[in-house]
Amino acid sequence: MINKAIYLLFAFCLWLLIIGKAGKPGPEYYTLKLPDSLPKPVYDFSKNPLTKEGIALGRYLFYDPKLSKDSSVSCGFCHQQFAAFGHFDHALSHGIMGRVTSRSVPTLFNLIWQKDFMWDGGVNHLEVQPISPITNEDEMGMDLKELITRLQGNKTYKRMFKEAFGTEEVTSQRMLKALSQFMATMISFESRYDSVMRHEPGVTFTAEEQGGYKTFQQKCASCHKEPFFTDFSMRNNGLPYLPSMNDIGRMKITNNTADYLKFKVPSLRNILVSSPYMHDGRFFDIFQVFAMYDHGQEKGNTIDPLLKNGIPLSEKEQRQLYMFLNTLTDKKFINNKDLKEIMIED
Amino acid sequence: MRYWLLLFCLFILQWADAQLLKVCLQHTVNGQPVVLGKTNYQNAAGDTFNITKFQYYLSNFSLTDSSGKIVKLSSECFLIKEGDEASKKLSFTNLPAGQYKSISFMVGVDSLLNCTGAQNGSLDPINGMFWTWNSGYIMMKLEGTSPSSHLPEHMIQFHIGGYRAPHMTQRWITLPLSVPVKSGQLILRLNADIAILLNGISFRQSAGFMTPGTAADKIADNYQHMFSVGWHNNN
Repeated sequence: MINKAIYLLFAFCLWLLIIGKAGKPGPEYYTLKLPDSLPKPVYDFSKNPLTKEGIALGRYLFYDPKLSKDSSVSCGFCHQQFAAFGHFDHALSHGIMGRVTSRSVPTLFNLIWQKDFMWDGGVNHLEVQPISPITNEDEMGMDLKELITRLQGNKTYKRMFKEAFGTEEVTSQRMLKALSQFMATMISFESRYDSVMRHEPGVTFTAEEQGGYKTFQQKCASCHKEPFFTDFSMRNNGLPYLPSMNDIGRMKITNNTADYLKFKVPSLRNILVSSPYMHDGRFFDIFQVFAMYDHGQEKGNTIDPLLKNGIPLSEKEQRQLYMFLNTLTDKKFINNKDLKEIMIED
Repeated sequence: MRYWLLLFCLFILQWADAQLLKVCLQHTVNGQPVVLGKTNYQNAAGDTFNITKFQYYLSNFSLTDSSGKIVKLSSECFLIKEGDEASKKLSFTNLPAGQYKSISFMVGVDSLLNCTGAQNGSLDPINGMFWTWNSGYIMMKLEGTSPSSHLPEHMIQFHIGGYRAPHMTQRWITLPLSVPVKSGQLILRLNADIAILLNGISFRQSAGFMTPGTAADKIADNYQHMFSVGWHNNN
């Protein structure tokens, strides 16, 4: 009789153990779907494996205005999905209390292949990139320590950090890793150009687009290299220097005069939905960009050797180029439900 | 049986205790101890100044024994802050028995840790020792005021960093121990002299810089020589 009771008790304990385990599962791993033809990402996922909960936390953080000093500006405030996470219609990014910075909002996608960040390449890793806009006085103006304290006191975050990382502890490292997980899922390789390249049935370039692609390959592709449509380098493209802005570009980071007026080569993917253009957003129309390369450059000492004779573009070439660039818009990406803004309620 | 167990525990404790190295940091200016905000000091250029903040990273501690073998103690980065006594006392518990003739360490943070993403602990960017606009750690920070400074509020502000060639500010330091010491409970007093850190600096000409570059490299060359072993004690 006693033996039986012991067995029953043992079985009951075992059952409790199993139920208990099932009740608190670890985070669920998530695999990014990437086309096979792409090179290996630069971002090291082994140190921050993607999980559904990690991505969800990153998305929540991305759209939470509490990350700014006066809770008015979130990351998504400037990085708008319909503009490929650039800032629609704003030449210069702006932040809390109406403050304005000196550069335009870069688009966000395919970041896991990018070695350095910002227009001057001053930030060396995806994970530490968000610290810049969060703490910059003219953007979110928030003290990092104060932010961590703010998140620690929030019930939703306690729950979400626990789901993503196993405990409620909020650290800057966890916050930055979660943000990186979400940003890692911003992948854009579903444009019509991609379908054409993959020989998907029924998808072809029109004659105009094909002409534009040829012009692109001849005149743009050495810097705006496929498949990313950038080679991630820093160059002086001959954009005239504006004394009122006094932006010396990469030289601010390296103190090297050879880097004067050099800025990151932006991707041309989603280019027609992410105007305005250039590091200071001075061109609202892509045809102004064509015109600059055709006849509007300022050729200083550091001008890129590939661009020192400009890029002559006839009217026809410009029109066809526009048609081609239009095929680089990834509608699936800018409408991707998993990246959409979410309401932050507390 | 119980006594044996107790003896065994005592033995383990004894053994663990015997392997301890403590490094205590002390900050001075020309022999005068540093007191934040209060004391006035003078640099070689004759400028009077006070210090409101002095903090820096030390990492990669190792000892060299009498046969020349290097014993790595820890790859941990310690953030030393004047005014925070706990941060000025470092303990290493994994010191093997032996005779040691010198101690080596790095001022600053390994290049790799400067460029591999979000870090934790002493390297957490909330400690205010990380540059956000030009990624990388501030290896050493000295702030204060001096009537000679032309900056607002007469402040002096030196943030020394840079991990990429040609402007690298990490420095390796090896200091001999005056007599070879046996491991035991070894306590080591390291003195850092800010007068040496400020060698060649006149606040009238330059009261601060906060970017990687030649000026920061010079200060790094200075801090390579600012440390000395005050005394050590072998129990």
